[in-house]
Amino acid sequence: MPWYIYLAFKQLFPSGRFPFFTAISVLGVTLGVAVLIIVTSVMGGFGYEIRRMIVETEGEIDVKATGYLSDPKDVLAQITAIPGVAAATPYVKSVVGVQANGRPAYPIFRGVEVSTIESVANLSRFTNPRGALANLDDDGVVVSSQLATSLGVRVGDKIEVYSPLLIEKLKNDEVFFPREFRVVGELYIGHQQLDSSTIYGTLRAAQELYGLGRSVHGIYVRVKPGIDEHGVVAQLNATLPRATTRAYSWMESWADFLWVLNLEKSINFFLLLFIVIIAAFSVMSSLLISVVRKTREIGLLGALGARPRDVALCFCAQAFIIGLTGTAIGVGVGFGVLAIRNDLVHGIARLMQRQDTLRQFYQFSDLPSHTLTSDLVLTVVAAIFVSTLAGLLPAWRAARLKPVEALRSE
Amino acid sequence: MSGAVLAAQGMRKSYQSGDRRIEVLRGVDLAVGAGESVSIRGESGSGKSTLLNLLAGLDAPDGGTLAWGGEPAQANRRAGFLGIVFQSFYLIPEIDALANVLMAARMVKAPGAAERARAKELIARVGLAERATHLPAQLSGGERQRVAVARALMNSPKLLLADEPTGNLDEHTGDAVVELLLGLCRETQTALVLVTHNTAYAAKTGRQLFLRDGALS
Ligand SMILES: Nc1ncnc2c1ncn2[C@@H]1O[C@H](COP(=O)(O)OP(=O)(O)OP(=O)(O)O)[C@@H](O)[C@H]1O
Ligand SMILES: [Mg+2]
Repeated sequence: MPWYIYLAFKQLFPSGRFPFFTAISVLGVTLGVAVLIIVTSVMGGFGYEIRRMIVETEGEIDVKATGYLSDPKDVLAQITAIPGVAAATPYVKSVVGVQANGRPAYPIFRGVEVSTIESVANLSRFTNPRGALANLDDDGVVVSSQLATSLGVRVGDKIEVYSPLLIEKLKNDEVFFPREFRVVGELYIGHQQLDSSTIYGTLRAAQELYGLGRSVHGIYVRVKPGIDEHGVVAQLNATLPRATTRAYSWMESWADFLWVLNLEKSINFFLLLFIVIIAAFSVMSSLLISVVRKTREIGLLGALGARPRDVALCFCAQAFIIGLTGTAIGVGVGFGVLAIRNDLVHGIARLMQRQDTLRQFYQFSDLPSHTLTSDLVLTVVAAIFVSTLAGLLPAWRAARLKPVEALRSE
Repeated sequence: MSGAVLAAQGMRKSYQSGDRRIEVLRGVDLAVGAGESVSIRGESGSGKSTLLNLLAGLDAPDGGTLAWGGEPAQANRRAGFLGIVFQSFYLIPEIDALANVLMAARMVKAPGAAERARAKELIARVGLAERATHLPAQLSGGERQRVAVARALMNSPKLLLADEPTGNLDEHTGDAVVELLLGLCRETQTALVLVTHNTAYAAKTGRQLFLRDGALS
């Protein structure tokens, strides 16, 4: 071990003790790292839950038709023949006009095949009453919760649906009537994006609304557990005719939304990184004090033959060791807190007598957590890097000291 | 003198203080042979410490040449070539006496078993075998200076420079330290340059010099 590393250790932990100055410096980094890990993990957890919700309502893969698929049976057979595909179900999806209680809305109408939709999407988990989707007939619809609220409809009410097809009829001076549907259920997935305005109806009803005949807009695909969906997407795109269809993973379909989600996380990361940066300033100031306090010893090191570069390394090493120790403890504390996060949240809620509020207003009654290795690595590297940077100024000051003047100082 | 451990010629040094220029050294010549002991006396402020720092290569002279063991003095040779003892002991407070002695060896290379054994031996030689694991704060002034002497000798230097090593010690302790320095240097054939105010100590060295008006006599 070079002397400067040895001395760096000894100055931070003289004879195995953990002195106050070291403890404070380490604590700052620890806090920063722990908070970074907790927040990125919880945000990652939200992202992970959202992924689960998307996948559970739409499957992992969306085979979109350019225009429409006039013969979905063939394509369905081709899709299900691919190993790794668990199930597939056709859909029709487009915007409609809706009116109820005199209030208009323009939601997306999704026509799904009632017999197969559940093998791809576990929607019945999210409907009220449960299983409303499975019992859907051609005159019934399931309405997403926010839409139901804004239209002021409940289960059993009627809504009127206008499709773009009716506009065509209107142009030809034909008489038209809106199609009437009965609300048989509400859909509450628990995510704003998914709950805002969707109507689920049968495939046949949707085909009639659009005058599609037997054609569909696309096919949702469920991948077998443990199979990478991107591989299946590539296989699908290789197998299916390029002119009529294109397969997208859920990530591609939701790219914009995921981008925003990721942006939120990045912004959070950089804001919280400031805790580490502030901790680094405290590391810097205590090392600067140490340089001043040890001026004579630094002079002595020079007299013993230490090169200025090695003196600098001695202080950089101290900053690095503080960063490393703080980060290591911070990772431990972070994961420790994550492990008991739900006890903490519930404990606080109980203290404030707000258990029900929590359940009502949060999408998840438990706090999710999902730590990405990339986030963990980024946190660790950033924390150690920033702490080590903090050693540069003290190191430079120490290296600049001339032995003779340092020894002379009182 | 050829083969001299230390050869300094025409060493000059001046300091700027305010608008005045103080010429402290005006051409000092000094040659010290292997194993020789030299004492330098002089009034306070005559430039003894300045000279010693120049000889140690810790400070750059304004003029003159300096050779260690017949070759030009260079900072990277210092750790292996010479040892220094200061008036203040400058021990590193975080590490024990033995580790302080070993520190000199670390500057040259990572210490092995041989270096550890030598450090123990030196600590014993300066009479601190019992105190080897004490931190500097747990040692008396005299004991600390003895650790500093052991540290200066750690790398088996050819030359030992001592700047008033007894300055911070009482008479009795000072006597012991000087005896130790002289004895060890004699034993190990290390050349010694001893700066001191004390005539009695100076008398014990092989050659006695005075620093006066910026030159040795
Ligand atoms: N860095 C400096 N800047 C300005 N003047 C200096 C500096 N270092 C030393 N001097 C001056 O040089 C002169 C010699 O100083 P030095 O320390 O060498 O004396 P000394 O002989 O060792 O004295 P003492 O016996 O008191 O230790 C003094 O007048 C001192 O004020
Ligand atoms: Mg002096």
